[in-house]
Amino acid sequence: MSRRILVLMLLFSATLIVSFTATIILNPATPSELKELAKYYVLNTINETASPEAVTAIVWDYRGLDTIYETLVLYLAIVGGLAIFKMSEEALLKTRIGLTLLTKTSTKIIALLITSIAAAIAFHGHLSPGGGFPGGSAVAVASMIIIPVFAAGTLIEKGISSTKLVAIRGAALTALGLVALLPVVRGLEIVTNQKFYPASILGLPISGSLSLYNLLESLAVASGFTAVALYLSIPEEAYKGGSSA
Amino acid sequence: MIESILFWLGSALFIVGGVFDLIGAIGMVRFPNFYVRLHAATIGGIYGAVLPLMGISLMALGIPELPGRFAIAGASFVTAIVLLVVAPVGSHILAYAAHKSKSVEWSPVVDKLLEDEEK
Repeated sequence: MSRRILVLMLLFSATLIVSFTATIILNPATPSELKELAKYYVLNTINETASPEAVTAIVWDYRGLDTIYETLVLYLAIVGGLAIFKMSEEALLKTRIGLTLLTKTSTKIIALLITSIAAAIAFHGHLSPGGGFPGGSAVAVASMIIIPVFAAGTLIEKGISSTKLVAIRGAALTALGLVALLPVVRGLEIVTNQKFYPASILGLPISGSLSLYNLLESLAVASGFTAVALYLSIPEEAYKGGSSA
Repeated sequence: MIESILFWLGSALFIVGGVFDLIGAIGMVRFPNFYVRLHAATIGGIYGAVLPLMGISLMALGIPELPGRFAIAGASFVTAIVLLVVAPVGSHILAYAAHKSKSVEWSPVVDKLLEDEEK
């Protein structure tokens, strides 16, 4: 075992021991009652946002503007990453064989499972723990196992190019911004939820704009991460050849 | 009656899974090269994980006073099925990649693939 790993393990176990003994000796008491802010959220979330899920309500309603700008920051990060990786996709078209038939079949099953769970996380996010970002990330996990197994070239041949994915992401973000901006037309504040959007449609509880935000955010995150994964699967030789030319 | 049968069946599956894990661990240490060790590791990954999970789901069904027993049983059953699909494929890809990249020693007694490719 190398000395570096030994030192790391020693540090790790020392941290564990110190934190355990500190917890036992200091014995920090768990708070027995809620703070005023927590009480406010617990009592008022269902009335003010029509959503029983306080986390989603805080993220997309109480501090909705902050979350929308956060989404924009992530969008810029992904666009910047794609600009750095700027490559023609011809390098990817050479890789189109993929792995064996056995792998492909089981990947189809697993990717379907992951995508359905992701859809449940994203579209049910206004009622139960979850939401747009975790749902989109789960879809990205599915695409990240699909890309190496079926080879990136096959996907590009089928028409799933990163340009299209970034376009989908842009469209989803535009729609998200429109959802946030629409209440302004009626003279309400930006990112208004319950005063403008209905709490339910045809008896389905949609919690106003929260489910729309979750749907659009999951689309945006899934397509953005899939585009990045496509670019990351460009073989190293393509870059080496490009720099020498 | 049916509850206790389920419980003891689950416990039996649990113990059988533990035995398979032990066998896999011994094989992992004792076997000579990469491919045979992969076989031992896969025994631990399939029988040593799928059987105990099935056992947990049966045991949970066999304890009526356990709160949320159907959720526990369903979740562990689904996890077992997913593992049953995924674990063999993981070993298969590892062996395939190792064989294609020639990164491990390959001294077969019979190589049917090579014979087929030479035909």
